[in-house]
Amino acid sequence: MQQNSILLLFLILAALATITFLYIYLSSKNVELVKQGMENPLKKRFWFLLILFVVLSIFASVTIPKSPYYLFADETPAKVVHVSAMQFAFIMSENAIDPKRPSGQAIEVPANGLVEFRVTSLDVNHGFAIYNPEERLITQTQAMPGYVNRLRYKFSEPGTYKIFCLEYCGMAHQGMRASFIVK
Amino acid sequence: MESIKSKKITAVWIITILTLFVVSIVLGILMRLNQGGVIEQTPVAFYVNMTTHGLTMIGIWFVAGMMAVNFLLQRYVKTSHTVNILALVFTVVGVLMLWTSTFIGKFHAGWTFLYPLPFKIMWAKWATPVFYLALVVLVVGWLIWCLSLIAQILKKYSISQTFAWQHFKKNPKVETPPFILISMITLVGITTCLIAAVVLVALTAAEYFSKGAFVNDALLMKNLTYFFGHTIANEMLYLGLAVIYELFSEISGRPKWKTTWYVAIAWNFTLVFILTAFFHHLYMDFVQPEGLQIVGQLASYFASLPAAGVTVFSIFIAVYRTKINWSLPNLLFFIGTAGWVIGGLGAVIDATISNNVVLHNTLWVPAHFHTYNAMGNVLFSLGFFYWFATLDTEKIYSGKGTKLILSLLLIGGIGFLLAFYIAGADSIPRRYSNYPPELAAGIPLATMGAAFATIYLIGILIFFFNISKGCLKILSSPSS
Repeated sequence: MQQNSILLLFLILAALATITFLYIYLSSKNVELVKQGMENPLKKRFWFLLILFVVLSIFASVTIPKSPYYLFADETPAKVVHVSAMQFAFIMSENAIDPKRPSGQAIEVPANGLVEFRVTSLDVNHGFAIYNPEERLITQTQAMPGYVNRLRYKFSEPGTYKIFCLEYCGMAHQGMRASFIVK
Repeated sequence: MESIKSKKITAVWIITILTLFVVSIVLGILMRLNQGGVIEQTPVAFYVNMTTHGLTMIGIWFVAGMMAVNFLLQRYVKTSHTVNILALVFTVVGVLMLWTSTFIGKFHAGWTFLYPLPFKIMWAKWATPVFYLALVVLVVGWLIWCLSLIAQILKKYSISQTFAWQHFKKNPKVETPPFILISMITLVGITTCLIAAVVLVALTAAEYFSKGAFVNDALLMKNLTYFFGHTIANEMLYLGLAVIYELFSEISGRPKWKTTWYVAIAWNFTLVFILTAFFHHLYMDFVQPEGLQIVGQLASYFASLPAAGVTVFSIFIAVYRTKINWSLPNLLFFIGTAGWVIGGLGAVIDATISNNVVLHNTLWVPAHFHTYNAMGNVLFSLGFFYWFATLDTEKIYSGKGTKLILSLLLIGGIGFLLAFYIAGADSIPRRYSNYPPELAAGIPLATMGAAFATIYLIGILIFFFNISKGCLKILSSPSS
C-alpha cells in the first residue's frame, strides 16, 4: 500500500537526519586541536543545495503528473454518482440531487470501470474519503458548499467500500459515514 | 541594551506562555485519552478542548517568538515598551475571551473555524460573536506589535538594507545583521497574513449582519483561512530561527554569524515560498485552479532549500569539529533544529499532491506539525527562556537537570509523535472524538500518545520550575 511506503520513506529519512545531527554533535565533543572546523564550507554548501534541488525537482516532476486532477481525465466515466454531503450524512444518487428535497439511494458501481463522484455540500465543508474493504483510505475529495468536486476512480476489488467525513464539520463529525458496493 | 523594565515584561511573557502551555498540553492529553477510551467525554467536550488547544497553542508560540525577537531587537534598535505591554494585554484578554466562547459558550468550530461552520450554531448563540471578537482583539494587538517593530527597524535601516539587498553585490558598504534581516522578512510575512485575517473577519461580519442578503464564497474563505492560519503557524518557526541566528553562536562561545550574499538571497526567497505554500491545504478541493495546486507543491518543496541549505547547514558548520560550550539552551536549539528538519520531511511528503490524497486530514497532519512545533519551535523558545532566566546569574547555563529535562522531552516527544505517524499511515482520521469499529487501530495508538505526552509534560514542568526562580527574581528586582 502507498501509505506503508510513505511511512517507510519517512522513517528512513528521519533516521538519516538524526544520524547526521548526532554525528555533527559528537564531532564537537571530540575535537583535536590541529584540525578544526569544516574545510571548504561554501563549496560543500553549494553541492548540498544542488543535490537537494535536483532531488526535489525529480520528485516534483515524477509526482505532479500523478495528482488526482489528471487521473483518468481523458476517459468517459462508466458510472456517475452524485453526492450531497450534509451535517451529518451523505446522500448519494445516480440522478442529480435536488438541494431542496434531497433524497438518495443505495449505490452499486462496476469493478474496473471508471466511476465519477460529483461531490458537493448542502451546508458546511465536509470530506468525502473512500476506504477500501481493508479499511485503508484510497482516495478523497472535499465537499464544499456552492462547488462540485469531481473525483474519478477505478475500483479493482469488489466489496463494500466505506465513506468517512474527513473535514471537521461539528459535534457528530466522527459519526458521518456511508457505504457503497463495488461489484 | 535590554533595560530592567523590558526584562520584567519578558519575564511576565514567559510565565504566561508556560502556564498556558501546560494547560494546553493537558487538553491535548485529555483528547488522546478520550480517543483511547481511557476516559469518556462527550463529543462536544472533546471538540471544545480541540478548538481551545489548537488556537491557544498557535497563539502562545507565536507570541513566544515575537517577544523573544522584541527583546533581542533592542540590541540593534529601540523598541516600544508601551506596545510590548499592549501586546501582552491584548493577548491575555484575547485568550480569555476565546476560552469564554469555548469553555462556557461551547463554541467548537475547530481552530480552522472553516466558513460557514461558525454560522451553524451548535453552541450558545453569543459564543460565535465572542469568538470572532477574541480573534479581532488578538489580530489587532499583534498587528500593532508587528507594525511597531517594523517601524522601529526602518528608523535605523532603509527598506533595501532590512532585506539585505546590498549583499547581492560584492563588498557591501553596510552589513545588515542576520537578526535584522530575518526579523524583517518574518514580520512582513506576519503582517501580510494578519491582514488576511482582518479580511476574513470582515467578510464574516458582513454576512453575519446582512441577515441573509450577502453570502460569502466558501472557496475564497477557505483560501483566506489558510493564508492566515498556515502562514502564522509557519512564521512563528522563523521567529524562533531569528533567535537562533542571534544566540546560538553567542551561547556556544563562537564568533557571531554574518550576513553573506547567499544568506540574503535565501531569506528573500523564504518570504516568497512561505506566502505561497498555504495552497497545499486546498489540494483536495479539485475546483481550486490547478496552477495554484502546483504552486502549492513547488513552494512547499523549495521552501526547504533556503532552510536546509543555509540555516541548517550554517548550524552544521558552526558545530562540526568545533569546540562548543554545550549547555541546555544551545542543546535545545540544536535538538530543535533536528526536530524542525524531521517535521519538515514529514511535511514535504504530505505536501506532495499524490501522497496528500491518502494523507489529507489523517493523523499524519498533526504528526508532522507537532514534530516541528513540540520538538522544534517550542525547543527554540525554551532555549531562549532558559538563556533569559539565567542572564543575570553567575552560574550561567549550568542548570541542574539538563540531562533529565532533555531525556523526558525526547522520550516523551518521540513516542507521542510516533503514535501520530503510525496512525496517520494507517488511515486514521484527525479530529475524531471517538473511533468507529473500522478504525479501532487508532484506539491503542491514542493511549500510547497520551502516555508519552505525559512524559513530555513532566519535562516541561521541571523546566518551568527550574526557570521560574530566575523569572521571579527579575520581577522582584528594583525597577531602576
